[in-house]
Amino acid sequence: MEEFINIGKRIPKTDAEEKVTGRAVYIHDLKVPGMLFGKILYSPHAHAKILNIDTSRAERLLGVKAILTGYNIPSIKFGFYKDNVPLKAGKVRSCRDEVAAVAATDPDIAEEALDLIRVDYEILPSVFDPEEAMKEGAPLVHDEHVGGKEKRPTNVLNLPWRLIAGDVDEARRQSAYVAEDRFRVTWVTHCCMGTSGCLAQFDLKNNLTIYSITQIPSLAQRDFTEALSAMGLQGKKVRVIKTMIGGGFGSKLDTYAFEYIAILLAHKTHKPVKIVFSREEEFFATSPRQPAIIDIAQGCTRDGRLTFRDVRMILDNGAYTSWGATTPSVMMMPISSLYKVPNVRYVAKCVYTNNTYSQAMRGYGNPQATFAIDSQIDILAEMAGIDPLDFRLRNANTPGEITPQNFKIITCGLRECIDAVAQKLDWRQNRGRRDGRGVGMASLIHVGGGARVYKSDGCGTIIKIDDFGTVNVFTGATDMGQGADTVIAQIVAEELGVRTEDVVVIHTDTDVCPWDVGAHASRTTFVAGNSALGAAKKVKQLLLEVAGQTLGESPENLDIRDRTVFSKRDPEKKSPLGKVLRAAHYTTGGRMVMAEYFYDPANENLDREFKGNLSVTYSYGTHGVEVEVDKETGQVKILKYVAAHDVGKAINPMLLEGQVYGGVAMGIGYALTERLISQNGKVMNPNFLDYKMLTAKDVPNVDPIVIETNDPFGPFGAKGIGEPGLVPTAPAIANAIYDALGVRIKDLPITPEKVLAALKQKTKPQ
Amino acid sequence: MKKFDYLKPRTIDEALSLLNQYGKRAKLVAGGTDVMVMIKQKRISPDVLISLSGITGLDQIQYDGALRIGPMVTHRQIEKSQVIRKEFSALADAVDVLGSIQIRNVATIAGNICNAAPSADTATPLLVLGAQVKIKGLKGERTVSIESFFKGPGETVLEEGELVTELIIPKPLPFTGSAYWKHQRRLALDLPILGVSVLLSLDRNRISCPDILCATSPISTVLHAMEQEGLVCKEVRIGLGVAAPTPMRAIKAEGLLRGKRISDELLQEVAETASNEAQPRDTIRAEAWYRREMIRVLVRRMAMRSIERVIRPEETVFPTRAW
Ligand SMILES: Cc1cc2nc3c(=O)[nH]c(=O)nc-3n(C[C@H](O)[C@H](O)[C@H](O)COP(=O)(O)OP(=O)(O)OC[C@H]3O[C@@H](n4cnc5c(N)ncnc54)[C@H](O)[C@@H]3O)c2cc1C
Repeated sequence: MEEFINIGKRIPKTDAEEKVTGRAVYIHDLKVPGMLFGKILYSPHAHAKILNIDTSRAERLLGVKAILTGYNIPSIKFGFYKDNVPLKAGKVRSCRDEVAAVAATDPDIAEEALDLIRVDYEILPSVFDPEEAMKEGAPLVHDEHVGGKEKRPTNVLNLPWRLIAGDVDEARRQSAYVAEDRFRVTWVTHCCMGTSGCLAQFDLKNNLTIYSITQIPSLAQRDFTEALSAMGLQGKKVRVIKTMIGGGFGSKLDTYAFEYIAILLAHKTHKPVKIVFSREEEFFATSPRQPAIIDIAQGCTRDGRLTFRDVRMILDNGAYTSWGATTPSVMMMPISSLYKVPNVRYVAKCVYTNNTYSQAMRGYGNPQATFAIDSQIDILAEMAGIDPLDFRLRNANTPGEITPQNFKIITCGLRECIDAVAQKLDWRQNRGRRDGRGVGMASLIHVGGGARVYKSDGCGTIIKIDDFGTVNVFTGATDMGQGADTVIAQIVAEELGVRTEDVVVIHTDTDVCPWDVGAHASRTTFVAGNSALGAAKKVKQLLLEVAGQTLGESPENLDIRDRTVFSKRDPEKKSPLGKVLRAAHYTTGGRMVMAEYFYDPANENLDREFKGNLSVTYSYGTHGVEVEVDKETGQVKILKYVAAHDVGKAINPMLLEGQVYGGVAMGIGYALTERLISQNGKVMNPNFLDYKMLTAKDVPNVDPIVIETNDPFGPFGAKGIGEPGLVPTAPAIANAIYDALGVRIKDLPITPEKVLAALKQKTKPQ
Repeated sequence: MKKFDYLKPRTIDEALSLLNQYGKRAKLVAGGTDVMVMIKQKRISPDVLISLSGITGLDQIQYDGALRIGPMVTHRQIEKSQVIRKEFSALADAVDVLGSIQIRNVATIAGNICNAAPSADTATPLLVLGAQVKIKGLKGERTVSIESFFKGPGETVLEEGELVTELIIPKPLPFTGSAYWKHQRRLALDLPILGVSVLLSLDRNRISCPDILCATSPISTVLHAMEQEGLVCKEVRIGLGVAAPTPMRAIKAEGLLRGKRISDELLQEVAETASNEAQPRDTIRAEAWYRREMIRVLVRRMAMRSIERVIRPEETVFPTRAW
């Protein structure tokens, strides 16, 4: 076993002190001279014609520098479907539609100006239920949108998600048992500690600098460059600078109206303009997780082997289309490849409604799909008379498998995860008591080696070393709190024989840092880590060459340990790194010690049939939970929570556990308490009082179990772990509740009301 | 946020004359945890805040036969008061689960009732404990019962220029226990879906087998076993929060139990009656049917907890069981 100095160590996040002492600079803290404050006026109606906007009174308010509406801005289209504009003209399609924006010298003045803007609307019939929206004659959210072969006006998006493998109908006929259910999941939102915001600033040549909290700096740069073109600023440069990011969870995978609005206001006023969301805006004007209606059927043989999985899904897209509309492509992953299932069919429709538009959120569709799949695994196991633990073990994925979607499973610790959870829960002892206490489990598969969503899944790294042996790593990756900087520093330090604290990671500036496709798909440790490792290897080679000259030793005989280059043959021959570097710099014909590396994993885009090896490797996990349910109130208490994850290799067990704790807390919220309550398209609970995110008192002790399968392709064997922590939480809890009471809740969140109503239904005399 | 002046009078009389001087333009502020939120949400926009924090002596808890609570006493002070925990347990239950420690450190009990939210956690404990509210204005002083203090959501009998100077809670009868349950979706930083307070005075504090109360069996089994004891309920008060526009007493339900032997059947009937007396509404926080259902469950549980506190006072100061 190799002895590591940095890898596998519980090293606190490099920015931890800055953050806990309040010194870290978030977008909220940022001030630049002459800065104005932008505020946005939203539509109070879900669907309405804009008849008139009167800004005259607001314009007269002292301190107001600019007012924009959809009628006095250039046409900028954005979003995955290019169906959104920064400020709406003609009509509004949801309650969060931006209708006007103000820049003023003070946030209170900007706010006051909003109150002075008068908008006349003519209310239009609206549609909030995606099934209703699909019907003939439903109000059209986008009048010009057409679909189907006939190119008729419709609310159904032209995104025909369809995966077919094997023969589902035949397999169904052959199955000894078939379960068929409808599951429903609703909106939940990211609840980032830091609300959204940006600061846009033009220089005198009309080049744009935007301070941002994006998860996708390189792609955002492209979006903003396009916007500049639409504004008549062709060929102008865009520089994206990230401040400290107060959490992402997928919420920053798109560019948003508020960013374009800040750019437009900055351009109009020739002043820097900052927009920062209030908590209320963060709740209603950012995009939540997609609600879905999931019809699912699964079958098995007499001895409990899965025969088929057949899933139809309707997703509530909301009024506009973000990258989130592609979540069905990720839902395909558990549907095709969680447990061995030979025949698979999945058809999904994304439907426009007058609700808030939804987008990416940690797990990217996987939690929704896994809730249905793994809840139903318990239902099917019961039909077959098999303990759900045995059922899962019988169908567990294994290394070397090629799944129906053509995923090549390299390492797979699913069995180990299931076993570990069963053991920790005393499964055989505790299951099936039906006395108000119960145990349940559920599993997950997720991409663990990047995901080729775009044409490239790449990330670049540049490394240079200074005169004192400090290593500067310029990475394309984004640290949004998950600890990417720390993990990258550990990887580079390990390869270069220095300590993590010797490495400074710079990820904040598109003018400085190399390209990256973004912090999504749990890809950063794997892809950015491999990229950093590749660059570190090249730099090391250079270091050894330079040192070889001064030490009079051939580079092959040299290595670096503890910040010192030494000869493996003669340990007396050695030189501290700083000295090697100074030798390189203070020599005639001297040189820089730096290297660049671009890593693009050998994964595949999904083909026309949505098949292909999307990720180089896959992460697995199983969560187990013991609950106690109060039969009179319906309240669910979590007594024990075990989360086992196959992570390849834990580069930093502390950060890894952090991802698991956070994931589980988010997952329990998804399962039991969290939802955006929408009435007629309006979010009714845009605050932490009524949006029931768990508090520190509510989060149970979580027992994280790390299964290391040492993936051959991962940096030091690591696989992705950013998202998996919340994927199987809801079905594990639903299964435990069933075990406790014999009632099955199929829609989230599992509120006390639902549990109590189901119990009453069950005990009602027939 | 709108700008305002902040005045810090040194005496109650000075506060009263400032209140009188500024009238509707002024807002009285204690801990500010309701007032500041309302200003930020633009629900009120006072020009002047008149703070009670500069007046010394308003943060006293005294127990001299009756319990006297000053208007600047914080929830945290109440939480830490041993006498309140022992003798006025329902109130201790309420402040234990109110907001968070940070909130409890600054928020006052007077502010809680003057704000008069139907969900105010201390309201139903004060109802069942029979609290009196001392009010002072330029015209003079008066004392009203807490029951007549609340007039509607956000509305009290306080007239412009008046303030609350003291809460007075009489010493309970011998063998009295009380309990409050906040039915909530989270364990902290939540408002109740429903608040239930019960106060019970028994004819004695000894029964032949006090350990029945530690049984983990369902509440009905425990009550059946207890029925043999022939415990009599001398006095009972039931308070319900978020069950009507103001915190309310379940008078009919109380009438069923007062002077009777305690049995499971009777407690069920009492709970059922309380549930029927209430007028809960459907809101985004919970539906009426669930609130009614919970009154049925929780009145019985809080009655049990009150009994337990009489009979096993030492063990049950910090109960962990559901009742
Ligand atoms: C995060 C958070 C969590 C909360 N959680 C809870 C909870 O769990 N349960 C709950 O019940 N409440 C909760 N609250 C509401 C609030 O904290 C309580 O109502 C608190 O008791 C108010 O006290 P205060 O001293 O802060 O009142 P203030 O905000 O200062 O005043 C409240 C009202 O009372 C008036 N007032 C204050 N003192 C007097 C007086 N002596 N005479 C006359 N009028 C007076 C004020 O003019 C104002 O109208 C929460 C608030 C926040 C911000």
